[in-house]
This record gives sequence, C-alpha cells and structure tokens, in this order.
Amino acid sequence: MRLSWIELTDFRCHPSLRVEPDPGVNVFVGDNGSGKTSLLEAIGYLASLSSFRRSPDASLVRLGAEGTVVRGEFASATGAALVEVEIPVTGRRRVLLNGKRAAGRAAIAETVALVAFLPDDLDLVKRGPAYRREYLDDLAAQVWPAAGAEQAEYERAVTQRNALLRRDGRMSDPTTLDVLDERVAALGGAVLSRRLATAALVAPSVEALYAELGEVPARVSFSYGAAGLEEVPAGAGADELAELLAPALAAARRGDLERRTTTVGPHRDDVDLVLDDRDARTRASQGEQRSVALGLRLAAYRVLADRRATAPVLLLDDVFSELDARRSARLVERLPEGQVFVTSARGEEVPLVGRHWRVATGTVEPG
Amino acid sequence: MFEAPIQRLIDELSRLPGIGQKSAQRLAFHLLTVEEVDARRLAEAIVAMREQVRLCQRCFNVTDSAECSICRDLRRDSSLVCVVERAQDIVVVEKTGEFRGRYHVLGGAISPIEGIGPEQLRMRELVARTAAEGVKEVIVATNPTVEGDTTALYIARILKPLGVRVSRLASGLPVGGDLDYADEITLGRALSGRRDL
Repeated sequence: MRLSWIELTDFRCHPSLRVEPDPGVNVFVGDNGSGKTSLLEAIGYLASLSSFRRSPDASLVRLGAEGTVVRGEFASATGAALVEVEIPVTGRRRVLLNGKRAAGRAAIAETVALVAFLPDDLDLVKRGPAYRREYLDDLAAQVWPAAGAEQAEYERAVTQRNALLRRDGRMSDPTTLDVLDERVAALGGAVLSRRLATAALVAPSVEALYAELGEVPARVSFSYGAAGLEEVPAGAGADELAELLAPALAAARRGDLERRTTTVGPHRDDVDLVLDDRDARTRASQGEQRSVALGLRLAAYRVLADRRATAPVLLLDDVFSELDARRSARLVERLPEGQVFVTSARGEEVPLVGRHWRVATGTVEPG
Repeated sequence: MFEAPIQRLIDELSRLPGIGQKSAQRLAFHLLTVEEVDARRLAEAIVAMREQVRLCQRCFNVTDSAECSICRDLRRDSSLVCVVERAQDIVVVEKTGEFRGRYHVLGGAISPIEGIGPEQLRMRELVARTAAEGVKEVIVATNPTVEGDTTALYIARILKPLGVRVSRLASGLPVGGDLDYADEITLGRALSGRRDL
C-alpha cells in the first residue's frame, strides 16, 4: 500500500500543492507553521475522511477560500484507489472513489489502510475512556468495513434514548423506552462484538511491543471492560452480546430515568491498561505512558498489515522530538517496510534513511 | 441586496428544501422574464393546492375529498394496511402494483431528538383503525434508519397484543445488480434477512 501522488488546493495554509512521494520513507522538514502536519493531515483525510487533529471540515479550508479539494491515488497489489474530496466552506462534502460517488469511509477502507502516530497519542493512555474506545472503533472500521456504519447507528440509537430521558425524565414513555432499549441492545451487541474482536487482535501485540520497546521490568496488560456486564464469554457474537445487553439495560432503567442518560452499553466501556499492577493512566511515568501509546499504534499497524497482507501507510507526526534516543532507536527498529511519512522541524533528529523534502507554505521541494 | 419585491421572493424560494441562495436568485429572475400569465399560473397553483388539498380522514393521505381515492376503492383489501412515514411514500409503494391493501400515514418516525414521540404521530388512529376496520395484517414500511426501525418495533409492540400480524419490509439487494457492487451494510442486512429456498 502506498500513496502515489497527492494534490491539495486551498487546504490549510497551502494554496496549491502536488507531491509524488517516494515508496519508502519520506521526511517533511520545515519551520513551525510551514504546513508539514497539514500535509500529513491531508493524506490521513483521504484514508479516513476525517481530520486526525479532530478539526471540523470547514476549518481545513484555507482562510478566504470558498472550499478545498484534496485528491490522491493509493496503489496496492490488489489495485488502485483514486480518492477525491471536495469540502466547501458551506454545504456538503463530496467524495469520489475512482471517479464514482462514494458512500463513505467503508468504501475507501476496503483498499486503503493507514495508521497515524501523533504527538497527542499520549491522550490514548492518559485521558478518558473515550480515547481508547475511539482507538478500537477506528481500527475495527479499518479491519471490517461495515463496522463504521454500525458504530454510527449505535451512537444514533443511544442519542435518541438519551434525548427521550433528558426531555421526559421519570415521565418517559415506557413502551418507547422498551423499543429504544431493543435497538440499543441489538446495535450495541454488534459494536461490542467488533470491539472485543479488535481487542483480542491488538492485546497480544501491545503486550509484546511494550516489552520490546524496553520498559523493563514492567509488563503491560490490555483488557477490555464492558460496562454493566459481569462476564463476557470469549468470542461472543453480536446476537449473543445483544442478549446480554438487553437485561443490563433493563436493570439500569430505574437509575437511567433518574440520571436522564444511558449508563450501560459500549459507549460507557473502557480499556484497562495496567503496568505490572499499576494503572497506566494514573500511576505510570510520562516515558512509560509514551511507550504504551507507541505500543498501541504499532500494534494497530501490525494488525492491519497482517489482515491485509500489505503494509499500511504510516504517518509519524513530529514523533521523534518527544522520544529520547533509546526509545527512538527502538521505534525505528520496529518500523516496517512500507511507505512512511515523517514530519520534523529539524531533519537531523529523524533517525530514518529516506527522501527528505523541504516544506514551506505552498511549496514542497526535494531537499 | 435586490429591490424589495425581488428579494422577498428570493427569501421565500430559498426556504424551500434543496434550494440555496443562488438557485433562488435564478428562479426569481426567471419568473421576471416569463409572461405574466405563466407566473400567475404558478402562484395560483400553489394557492389552489393549499386550499383544496386536505388529509384523508381514514389514512391521512393527501386528497381533495373526505377520503382519498385508495380508501374509496372498494376492491382494495381492507384487512391489510401498509404503514408509511409520509404521504409521498404511498406513491412509491403504489408504483410497484404489488400492494392491494390500504395505507396509514404516520406523519414521521419516533425521534426524541426532534421531540417526536408516539403521541406526535398518528399511532392512536392506527390502533383505532385496526379494531374498527378488521385489520388482520399491518406491513410497516418506515425507512430503514434507527428512527424507522424504532417506530416499526413500537408498532409491533402495540398491535401484536391485539392479535394483528405485524411485518416489516425486508431490506436487501437491488435487483439486477452485481453482488460485488452492494455496500457492506446492505449486504449484511440481506444476509441476516435471508430466506430458505
């Protein structure tokens, strides 16, 4: 899997830009604010149809422009994918895959696989459960293209249930709640089964990679915790999990009516990351947390590479400035063969052999 | 931006679904160039539609008399009712020529986000009809969305205890299409709703 070329028009600070990257390592070097990360963001957008900075679409448009266009072509052993995205400041985004209107991310995920390492990845370990749920959901959507739509439907069902509880509280119509519970359980079962399957795929990798990154003597363990479910049978399918969620929702009903929100379901779950016997979130050093975060991203990369028999495109946004020399070296040893994009303010800090590019606002030149 | 009478029309037009500022301007200036009788005919058509059209007292389809033409048609099977969200969905089902029962227009789907619960829809009327008209089967043809699915489940909950058979339109593959062009969600639903041969 590699990006053959990418073209940006009015994206972030770049009026117009075209890059034909190397199939191996590409290092984008430039001053702060020169648009290095924006370039990576554009590549990521083509694969996931969202910004890895969590920016709303309209903010991707260069100030003063009416809209932005990002086009690029990915090539793999199985074929090529030309992805074209047009984002107007007002109005709807348009996505074309190989010249045809694409339904959304699922269609693109079938051919394109991509993993991004970001300076904010520490959030995966340090901050709330939402970050770890998103990590699993994001990976699930790349492994099983239907998973993204299931997640969106589930969220919608929970939002509807919450809206009813918020509006009517204890006076909520029981029959409407019953049928919403049935939808939340059915869709939640689907989401939960994908999460558990994804967790089963990444957990051994995370644990092995953390050890390889050299944080001896600590051992990390990665385990998924389902809110409101006592025990989840290994390898449970969507229907089986839906049957477990239904009584859990029923049991939580009285409390939910009081609190006016839905307290049971995959939207409340978390992943426990434990170092030996310490909670990685609260009782690990910053360096250890960074290694766990790297382990999570590398594990996602390996899972995708294994499932697809092709190396995903890898984005490393300003990662090396955060790592000490020892951790950098170990990360580099574990980087795979595929195409890699790296940003750095100082090129010499990047311990990778590859093609260097100089980035300034609106230009990218071999450097 | 434009002279007041033109701007007023542009503002009105741009409130219509699918019409933005630019289209509204184009339509307004077009109406300025056509013959006056043509513009007047359009205005009269809008007024006449609003004055003459009302809702069928039985099924809430749009009609120009007390009951719509489908409800007045005695050859149609009154024991079979197809429930739709909006009146325009009736036309879609009618075009198939496969359905010989009657309809019931709910006026939307259950969506607490938009403040729509069962009491905002014509649920009570549906229950009353099933008893009064001897309805044996209700086919729910709401949209295949979270809201449409929720509404279908709700109807099943309230009608099944009354001994009415409740069914839901199947979702599946488009006829004449290639399997490899179907999206995963549609294919997934078609799989879970598969039928024995």
